[in-house]
Amino acid sequence: MTLNILIVDDSAVMRAMILKTMHMTDLPLGEIYQAANGQEGLDVLNQHWIDLVIADINMPVMNGEEMIDRMQENPDTKEIPTIVVSTEGSKTRIERLQYKGVRFIHKPFSPEIIRDTVRDITGVGVSDE
Amino acid sequence: MSEQLKEILSIVAGETLEKLAFMFSFPEDERGTMILDSAVAATISFAGPFSGTLVMTVSNQLLPELAANMLGVDDEETTLDQQHDALKETINIICGNLLPAIAGKEVVFNIDAPVIIAGVEAIKEAIEDHDNKPASIVKLNIEERDCDLFLFINGKFTLAS
Repeated sequence: MTLNILIVDDSAVMRAMILKTMHMTDLPLGEIYQAANGQEGLDVLNQHWIDLVIADINMPVMNGEEMIDRMQENPDTKEIPTIVVSTEGSKTRIERLQYKGVRFIHKPFSPEIIRDTVRDITGVGVSDE
Repeated sequence: MSEQLKEILSIVAGETLEKLAFMFSFPEDERGTMILDSAVAATISFAGPFSGTLVMTVSNQLLPELAANMLGVDDEETTLDQQHDALKETINIICGNLLPAIAGKEVVFNIDAPVIIAGVEAIKEAIEDHDNKPASIVKLNIEERDCDLFLFINGKFTLAS
């Protein structure tokens, strides 16, 4: 199985860094889609099959938390594994996100954290160890 | 408290640069303010239990290296947009990690989008045009290039224990 991944971050450099990090892991990557805010992310989700969403929180137009809420309201997207990659340092906010079922990775991150979290949340690549 | 604040800012900035861009920084306390003719700045504001602004000025020559290291490409392959984006992401991450280090992890801050400031007068304004003096200034040497951080805090604040 390959993973179709949507990366949502208003920083093109951060999207490229996450993508580079994904390529550094041995995860089986399929199509990679990118979006600069939550609304663009929802548009991509409406048009393509996505196995995993990696999203920032603080973004213009629509932030990551609102995008996640909208995903969870939609039967087609509510089960998609989602990882938030953010600078958010508030325990209150992080716990609120985790309560919604998403995983949280703090910026700056290491490739190993990304790889292990993706493996854990999707189950992909675990049996290849 | 100002020494503690300076140490926190220095550590957070150093760790961010190291993890994000594989760049090592060293404090340069004795150095004067960097030459702004060949500098670019980014600023980011925050509000929560206390509000304020973090300003980061870096030597123009440092920008391509910062962006290239973050992207994993050669310096000359990066565009000015990517270089500015890299600086904005760097200050965003420094600020995001700095605030809980100062105020603790229980409190909530809203952090604005970072903004690039170019031009000597505009940078001077960003550094000087505040009601208060900086709560902390950290001067760093990164790969033989200058980088200054100015933390402005409005009103009173206390460091989390």
